[in-house]
Amino acid sequence: MKILIIEDEPGLQRSISEYLSGMGNVCSVASSYMQALEKLELYHYDCLLLDLGLGDGEGLQLLSFLKRTDRAEGVIIISARNSLDDKLTGLSLGADDYLTKPFHLSELNARILAVMRRKSAMGERHISFKEIRIDLDAKEVTVNNKGVYLTKKEFDLLLYFISNKGKVISKSAAVEHIWGDDADMADSFDFIYTHIRNIRKKLLDAGSGDYFQSVYGVGYKFTSE
Amino acid sequence: MKLFSKYNRILILISFVGLLVIGLLFYQMLIFYLNRQLDHDMVEEVMEVKEYSVKGKFYTPHEFEDLVVQYKPIQKVRSYSQYGDTLFYNSLKHQNEHARFLRTEMMLDGEAYQIIVIASKMERQEQIKNICLIILLPVCILLIVVLLVNRMLLKKIWDPFSQMLKNINDFNINHEKPYRSVDMPVEEFKQLNQVLIDLSGKVKKDYEEIKLFTENASHEMMTPLAVINSRLDNMLQSSNLDTKEGEMLSELYQATSRLTRLNQSLLLLVKIDHNLLQEHEDIDLCQLIQEKTHYFHELLQERSIQLKTTLLPSRIIANRQLIEILINNLFSNVIRHNYEKGSIEIYLDSNQIIFANTAHHGALDAEKIFDRFYKGIASEGTGLGLAILKQICIRQHYLLNYTYQHNLHTFTITFNNE
Repeated sequence: MKILIIEDEPGLQRSISEYLSGMGNVCSVASSYMQALEKLELYHYDCLLLDLGLGDGEGLQLLSFLKRTDRAEGVIIISARNSLDDKLTGLSLGADDYLTKPFHLSELNARILAVMRRKSAMGERHISFKEIRIDLDAKEVTVNNKGVYLTKKEFDLLLYFISNKGKVISKSAAVEHIWGDDADMADSFDFIYTHIRNIRKKLLDAGSGDYFQSVYGVGYKFTSE
Repeated sequence: MKLFSKYNRILILISFVGLLVIGLLFYQMLIFYLNRQLDHDMVEEVMEVKEYSVKGKFYTPHEFEDLVVQYKPIQKVRSYSQYGDTLFYNSLKHQNEHARFLRTEMMLDGEAYQIIVIASKMERQEQIKNICLIILLPVCILLIVVLLVNRMLLKKIWDPFSQMLKNINDFNINHEKPYRSVDMPVEEFKQLNQVLIDLSGKVKKDYEEIKLFTENASHEMMTPLAVINSRLDNMLQSSNLDTKEGEMLSELYQATSRLTRLNQSLLLLVKIDHNLLQEHEDIDLCQLIQEKTHYFHELLQERSIQLKTTLLPSRIIANRQLIEILINNLFSNVIRHNYEKGSIEIYLDSNQIIFANTAHHGALDAEKIFDRFYKGIASEGTGLGLAILKQICIRQHYLLNYTYQHNLHTFTITFNNE
């Protein structure tokens, strides 16, 4: 996938680009809207990551520009402002998703994949990893065509890990993925272990390989290696 | 004591004492003049007695004059005249009456007599009583009128002041309610009013600035936090981490996450303060709590906490986001401060919601627990959870109450706070 990162913070620019490149994407960066416009006129991308916090309202202008020119790129807004109004404005101007700073790169990646799946529409409504197959419409998981019953949170977590396969996901990222911002409990990281253990057991029982790897107590990796 | 009653009390006391003293003096004065006049009359009677004696007659006054003259023969005439008060029996009216007497001795028709003239004060006393009444009655009426007028006038003068007090009370920095100026007829009050307008304006402005500062500071911190967070994610992918570095990363994640939540909580408080969450809808609380029970299920399970719920049907009109945060915070709080194999009780009916939990520590300071950044010793939270709870309750006009009973920390929210 070709991804354009429009973000003026060099640290964030680099870390996003590093992570997404590691997932097999081609990333280019723009530190200002002028740069972004230049690049958009020359190239086509699959997905744009847009920091709304640059300049004065220029981010929204860029969104309008994309909408006007009927571009096919998926757009994910990255903003330091977590307000419902900003979200609604962004989404109504054609953005596909909205992510509030700070976020985990695994979360960003999962969101990009979700947006791309929605964009590419009808076709790929399922994801496979080895013998595991996830039906996104029915929210069902099968291993070798045998149904595995997962709770909603377990399903979300498995999808999250498979979306970031081969990458280490910190417990903190996993917790925030399921719990969102609201819960004041997001510092209770350890209970994520219970979730992973349950999913792992269910998958193993259904005859799947053991793909969860614990990484030094910091997080987990979903990998076939 | 109210200024008004204090003033009135003093006024009434002084008027009463003053009236008493003046009345007494006035009465004494009248009595003095009366006596003088009676004495004078009696001297005239004695002169008359003398005149009659020239004609060889004993003078006897007419009966209606309330005057008696008594003659008593004596040996020798001494020259004196004695005045005094006495009682005498009025044979006409058959009653004892107060009177003045004049005793003197003189030669009548060549013989020595002691002459006592007694004049009744009865008639005059009646006059004095009437005079006193005629004077005192209007004075009393005047006094009452003055007091009444005073009362009305004071009330009228202090009325704007009471209004001002009410307005100061109504002034709430959180509720975008400015201090409402009062039209003051009195110069001093006018100044006070102006001072209050200036003061409330300044307080409001400062408060806005603090809120804006908090908001901006929190927002500005989000980008560096995002850099730290994403850089940690990058580091985590490195294949040559060892256990020690893993632990370090884990701690860094925790700290970053805590800082993030702190920031988010501060922003949320500002947001609630700004009353940015306006849209109201009908919320089925029973359903919401059931959803949240599900949502927190793993956390309860993880620590083997027993959950007892009594949920009666309950619906409220409120902002969904706020109510969700409210329930989330209540849940987080009762789970966070609980212990392994502890218990949580949730009760809901149409008017209130109660969350109770067991905990290691005893009763908390009900005055302080809702303060920002007040934290129990063992608390790992941001110290803002309960402050947010309180802020939401203030915003929604709910009554939030904390009690400690039967070893349970109990948080009660009453919806109909009337």
